Amino acid sequence: MSKEEIYERLNKVFQDVFDDDTITVNENTTADDIEDWDSLEHINLVSAVEQEFAIKFTMAQVVGMKNVGEMVDIIMTSN
Amino acid sequence: MGITTFYFLCFFSAVFILYYIIPKRVQWQFLLLVSLIYFLSFGDARMLLYPLASIAAAYWGAKYIEKEKDPKRKKRGLLFALSCNLGVLIVLKYLNLFVYTYNAIATRVQENAQILTLLRFLIPIGVSFYTLSVLSYIFDVYYGTLPAEKNFFKLLLFGIYFPLMISGPIVRYGEMKKSLFEKHSFNYEQVTRGVQRILWGFFKVLVISERMAVIADTVFRHYEQYPGIYIIVAAVCFSFQLYTNFSGSMDIVLGISQTFGIMLPENFKTPFFSKNIQEFWRRWHITLGAWLKDYLFYPLLRTEFFMNLPKKWKERIGKKPAKKITTFLALFILWFCVGLWHGGAWKYIFGSGLLHWFYIVSGELLEPLFKRIRQTLHITDETKWFSAFRMIRTFCLVTIGFLFFNADSLSAGFKMCGSVLTTWNPQILWDGSLLALGLDWVDWIIAILSLLLLWAASCLQQKKSVREWLAERNIAVRWLILYALLFYVILLGKYGPGYNAAEFIYQGF
Repeated sequence: MSKEEIYERLNKVFQDVFDDDTITVNENTTADDIEDWDSLEHINLVSAVEQEFAIKFTMAQVVGMKNVGEMVDIIMTSN
Repeated sequence: MGITTFYFLCFFSAVFILYYIIPKRVQWQFLLLVSLIYFLSFGDARMLLYPLASIAAAYWGAKYIEKEKDPKRKKRGLLFALSCNLGVLIVLKYLNLFVYTYNAIATRVQENAQILTLLRFLIPIGVSFYTLSVLSYIFDVYYGTLPAEKNFFKLLLFGIYFPLMISGPIVRYGEMKKSLFEKHSFNYEQVTRGVQRILWGFFKVLVISERMAVIADTVFRHYEQYPGIYIIVAAVCFSFQLYTNFSGSMDIVLGISQTFGIMLPENFKTPFFSKNIQEFWRRWHITLGAWLKDYLFYPLLRTEFFMNLPKKWKERIGKKPAKKITTFLALFILWFCVGLWHGGAWKYIFGSGLLHWFYIVSGELLEPLFKRIRQTLHITDETKWFSAFRMIRTFCLVTIGFLFFNADSLSAGFKMCGSVLTTWNPQILWDGSLLALGLDWVDWIIAILSLLLLWAASCLQQKKSVREWLAERNIAVRWLILYALLFYVILLGKYGPGYNAAEFIYQGF
């Protein structure tokens, strides 16, 4: 799976989780850029991403992800 | 010995001088030695057994977790290390909660019920703080983000590093180990900044907190005699007391550590400027909030039960409400634990825990209504007076929580709230009654002026670091400000009998 494909699918996941069709993410997107992305939504987001890509993040990854770029790196290595 | 005592200042000065005289390679061993001495200065040597047992369990548990490849065995190692640490905490701090609760229920049900006697333990200083720090080490090794420490004594220093023993902050081994064990040369800037910070902490504790404590204690301990507005005044004073006491002690602790070249994480970020409860908890006792998020809340939401809950409820009530209910349930457990961490009594579980859960959940549920009101009144989040209103509202909400924290018991807290609602005595604000609570008018003026000074510094802090601001002044102004503050503290600090400031409120935790 290419990076572009991952971002395309991720956009859909983000739009669905945060209920906002205008969201597009890039590697530098962080929780500060999306209004509702707090610690509660973080877990919902992580679960939705896991479902979409059929992967499982470790607890260290869940806690440690600093931006969407890091999330994509983990998705790429997990596939 | 408490950190605002004269003895502690002598102890710290001696440690500081020796720290930079001895060879750099033994600096951390020296810190371990003085930490042990400091721990023993609280009296009973047997108390040292608790942290020793906790840290030994963490040390061996982590080594086992790292060595084992089998996930089941890893988990067994985790459970062993966790149960040793949590077991000590539960026995020391929470067993009596069961005794209290049992007695309360038993006497209600049956008048002559047999009452259990409260258990008395030697509770080691800082147990709630170092236990969480040690637990974070165990979890990090288990998650694979941190290698297990090979040197037991290094882990021991992490657990009982003396500035942390008073009231935290709660630290992570991965973040601390570099600066804790590297060699430190005398750095003039670090040391002066550390000393400035200690001075600022003393100002908060001795000048403000000690005065606020007089009002709060008088009213809280005799709340039947002081109804209505007295309770509001005392509760506000207690909020300021708690903040200046806890954040002031953090200034002293972080300042002391900075003079050794060891940076500790911040625990406060001007919390009374928060616009809602969630923001308040991101700015008040930051290291506790971060700990609970990483090691309790996230793992809890990742359990099968919580992962499956939204799916189960989705069909019945819809996707969004199902997600909300799951989160509210997890938040309930989280806030119960926040309350419980503050102490094994229902007043903490309610006032520092579940009340905040109620605020957050009701805020979320009422948000659509609030949004409509804001739209009708054409208020945006940028409106200045609306921001001020939100800050004051948040302050009032947390003050109610603090009222329970400081009340004699949960029922005393409710009685005090009832008294506020049923007694209307605003005349006490101007008829001189407030001067009969233990502070004369000079003390009131000093307290109010000092709070204004703190407020001004906090306003500046919103824009830039106060210490950066100070560093930018020319040397004469800088020293003038520091000397003025020093004399202010020496002259106006309120010292208890025998130059022993009142204990830190969080010290017993």
